[in-house]
Amino acid sequence: MSLKSLDPRVTRLNLPEGEVPAMEPKPELDQFETYEAFHQKKEGAAYTYVGPVHAPNEDVAFLFAKEQYSRRFACTGIWIARTENIQLTLYGNDSENVYDMMRVEEPAERSEQPEPYEIFHLKKRGKAHVHAGRVMATSYLEALQEAKQQFGEKGPVVNVWVVRSKDVLQSAEEDKDMWTTIPEKKYREAIAYKVMDKITKYKEENKPTTAQ
Amino acid sequence: MNEQAIKDLLYKLADDQLILGHRNSEWTGFGPILEEDIAFSSMAQDKIGHSLAFYTLLQELGEAEPDTVAFTRNANQFHNSQLVELPNGEYDFSLIRHFLYDNAEIIRFEMLSQSSYEPIAKVATKLKGEVKYHVLHANTWIKNLGTSTEEAILRLQSSLNEALPYALGMFEKSKFEQELIDAGVYAGEEAVKAEWLKRITAVIEKTDLKLPDLESIKPKFGGRYGEHTEHLQPLLDEMAEVFKIDPTAEW
Amino acid sequence: MYGGGNVFEATKFDDLQTEDPAKLAEFEARIARGEKIEPTDWMPELYRKQLIRMIEQHAHSEIIGALPEGTWITRAPGFRRKMAQMAKVQDEVGHAQLLYSAAETLGKSREQMLTDLINGKSKYSNVFNYPAFTWADSNIISWLIDAGAIVNQMANAKGSYGPYSRALERICAEEAFHLKYGHDAVVHMATGTPKQREMIQAALNRWWPPIMTFFGPSDKMSTHTETLVRWKVKMATNDECRQQFLDMYVPKIWELGLTVPDPNLKKNMETGQWEYTEPDWDEFKRVINGDGPCNAERLAVRRTAEERGAWVRRALLNPKAKYVKPLA
Repeated sequence: MSLKSLDPRVTRLNLPEGEVPAMEPKPELDQFETYEAFHQKKEGAAYTYVGPVHAPNEDVAFLFAKEQYSRRFACTGIWIARTENIQLTLYGNDSENVYDMMRVEEPAERSEQPEPYEIFHLKKRGKAHVHAGRVMATSYLEALQEAKQQFGEKGPVVNVWVVRSKDVLQSAEEDKDMWTTIPEKKYREAIAYKVMDKITKYKEENKPTTAQ
Repeated sequence: MNEQAIKDLLYKLADDQLILGHRNSEWTGFGPILEEDIAFSSMAQDKIGHSLAFYTLLQELGEAEPDTVAFTRNANQFHNSQLVELPNGEYDFSLIRHFLYDNAEIIRFEMLSQSSYEPIAKVATKLKGEVKYHVLHANTWIKNLGTSTEEAILRLQSSLNEALPYALGMFEKSKFEQELIDAGVYAGEEAVKAEWLKRITAVIEKTDLKLPDLESIKPKFGGRYGEHTEHLQPLLDEMAEVFKIDPTAEW
Repeated sequence: MYGGGNVFEATKFDDLQTEDPAKLAEFEARIARGEKIEPTDWMPELYRKQLIRMIEQHAHSEIIGALPEGTWITRAPGFRRKMAQMAKVQDEVGHAQLLYSAAETLGKSREQMLTDLINGKSKYSNVFNYPAFTWADSNIISWLIDAGAIVNQMANAKGSYGPYSRALERICAEEAFHLKYGHDAVVHMATGTPKQREMIQAALNRWWPPIMTFFGPSDKMSTHTETLVRWKVKMATNDECRQQFLDMYVPKIWELGLTVPDPNLKKNMETGQWEYTEPDWDEFKRVINGDGPCNAERLAVRRTAEERGAWVRRALLNPKAKYVKPLA
C-alpha cells in the first residue's frame, strides 16, 4: 500500500501489502439467485414492483428487500417472489393491450385443483408492474386467460406477470409495525435540511459580497 | 419516582445503543453481500437513533444535551455493557453479538413499553417495531448460517463462546434495581435475562450450534459503572475526532 | 454518484451491418416514439454492449464511491451528521445494488461484474481515486460530486432503457437528500468558525480539479456517438453536463464567500457559456489507468470485503438454485 489509509476502518482491515494475484472469478451463484420485490405504499393500495434482490432464500430476500426498498417513504407491506417462479408475456407497444395479442396455447402442466395466482400489469413501458388481482386457475396459461377476462378490458396493458400465490411470500399483518417509524426518519430526507437562513445571515453580515 | 434510578437506566440503554450502532456502522461498504450491507447499516442507524431518543429523555431530566453527552465523555463515564464495545471482528462475531444483543433489547423494549414511567414507555412503544426487525434479521441469519456448512457453524460457535461472557454482562444489576422493579419501571435484569435465555435457546435449538452451560460462565460485569475493556476509549476518541476540533462549533 | 466520464469509447461491436434491418427499424421506431426498451425486447448488440458498459461503470462508481465518504463514517460530528453520513454512504451501496440489477437484465451477471471491478478490468468514476483528507472533503463530495451526479443521472433517466430509467428515478430521489445534506454541511462549515471555514476552503481547493474532470473530456463526435444519441443511450454531452453543473453550483459556492481555485473561471455573458482552465486530462488518463492516489486502496478494500464475506456466501449457496436474470 503506497498510502496509509485515511479511513481508520480500512486500517483495521489490515489490507495485504504489495502485489496480489488477480482474484479468481467468482463462482456461479456466489451472489445467489434473484427474487422480485413488491411494496404497498399505504393500506389498501395495490402492491407495486420495486426491484430485485439477490438472496439465498425467500426469508432472507424479505430481510433484504425491506431495507433496500422500504427504508424511505411510507410502506405497509412487502411481497417477495422468486424470479424463476414468475412467468411473463411478451411486451406490447405502449397503448396496446397484450391480452389482445395473446396466442393461448394448451398448458403443458395443470394442477388438479384450481389454485390462486397473482396477476401484475405493466401499463406503460418504463413504469413498474402493479398488482391487478388474483385469479383461480390450474396453470399459468389458464391464469392468464382468467386474468384477461377479469382485468383485461381496462386500458392498455403492455406486459403481464403471473405467479402462483403460494410462491409469494407476503409480510404479515402483525409485521406492519416494522414500518411505522419510517416517515419519522427525517435525517434521510432532503426536506430536513434547510440552510437558507444561514446563507442569508452570512450574506448580510458580509456585505458587500465578495464579488468575483 | 427516584430520578437517579431513571437516569441510571436511561444511561445504560442509551450508551449500549450508541456504541453498538457505532460499531455496526463500521461495516458500511464492507459487508459480505450488497443487500446485507444495506440492511446492517439501517440497523446501525436505528440504534444511533434509539440512543438519541434516550439521551433526549436524559436532557429533559437535566443532563447535558445529547451531542455533549455522547461526544465528550470518557470511557469511564460510559454505562454500556462491554459486549457492545468489542471490535467487530469477522462477520460471524458481529452477527452473534447482534443476535445476543437484540434478543435482549426487544425484551427491554417490550417491558419498557408497559413502564410506569411514561416518557420511557412512549419511546419504547414507538421504537419497538424497529427492534422487531433487528431480531427477525438476527434470528433469520443465525438459523440459516447455523444449519449450513461446517465452516460457518464452527465460526458461529466460536464467536458464540467468545461473546457469551460479555453478553451475560448485559444483565449486570443496577444500583437501583429493586427500586426500578418496585416502581414498575420494568421487571429488572433477572427477568430480562430469564426471558432472553428462553428466546435465544429456542433459536439455537433450531441450528447445529450448542449453547454452553451458562452456569459455568463468569459474566463480564463492570460496564454499567464505567469499567471497560481497552477498546472503548479508542472508539470514543475516533468518534469525537472531528467534534472535538471545536465542541462549541455547529457542524 | 456518477459523472459519465470516459464511458463511450468505440468498441468492436460498432458494426450494425450484421443486424436484421427490419428489427433494427422497429427498435429505432420505438425509441423515436418515446417508448422505453424492456429486457426481453430485441435490441442491437451495440446497444446491449454499450448499456452494460455504462450501467456497470455506474454501479462500480457507487460501490467505490461509498469509500471516500465512508472514510468519515465513524467520525461524523454530532448525532445529526452521524446518522445522515451513515444513511448517505448506505445509499451509495443501495444504488450499486439497483444498478448491478439493471445491468444484469442485459445479461451480465453480478458475479462477473464484481470480478471485473476487482481485477481492474472495468472502470469507475475517476474522482473516487482521490482521498478525503478531512471531514470537510467528505462534505464537498456529498454536495458537489453528488450535484454533478444528479446532472448526469437526471439526463440518463430520460434514456431509452426501462430498467436503467427505473433505477435512476429511485436513485435521483435519494440523491436529492445527498445534495441537501451536503449543502447543509458545507454551509455550516463556511459560515462557522474560522477553523471550519479554512477546512472547507482547503477541501474545495483539493476537490475542484477532480470535479472539473467528473463529466469526462469533451466528446469526440463520431457516427458512433450519433448512433448512441439516436438510441437515447447518450443523453447529453460531457460539456453540456459540465456547463449545467457550473451554472447551477458556482453561484452557490460564491455566495458563501468561498473561492473556486481557478482564476479563469467566469461566465461569458455573450455566449452564455462558462470559461475555465482546461482540466489536466493527462492526469485524468493517468489516474483512470490506475496511477491515482487511492486506486490501489479502493480496489484492495473492495476485494478484501468480498474475500472476507466469502464464507457467508459459500455457506448459503444452494447449488440446485437456478439463476434467472431479474425481470425488470
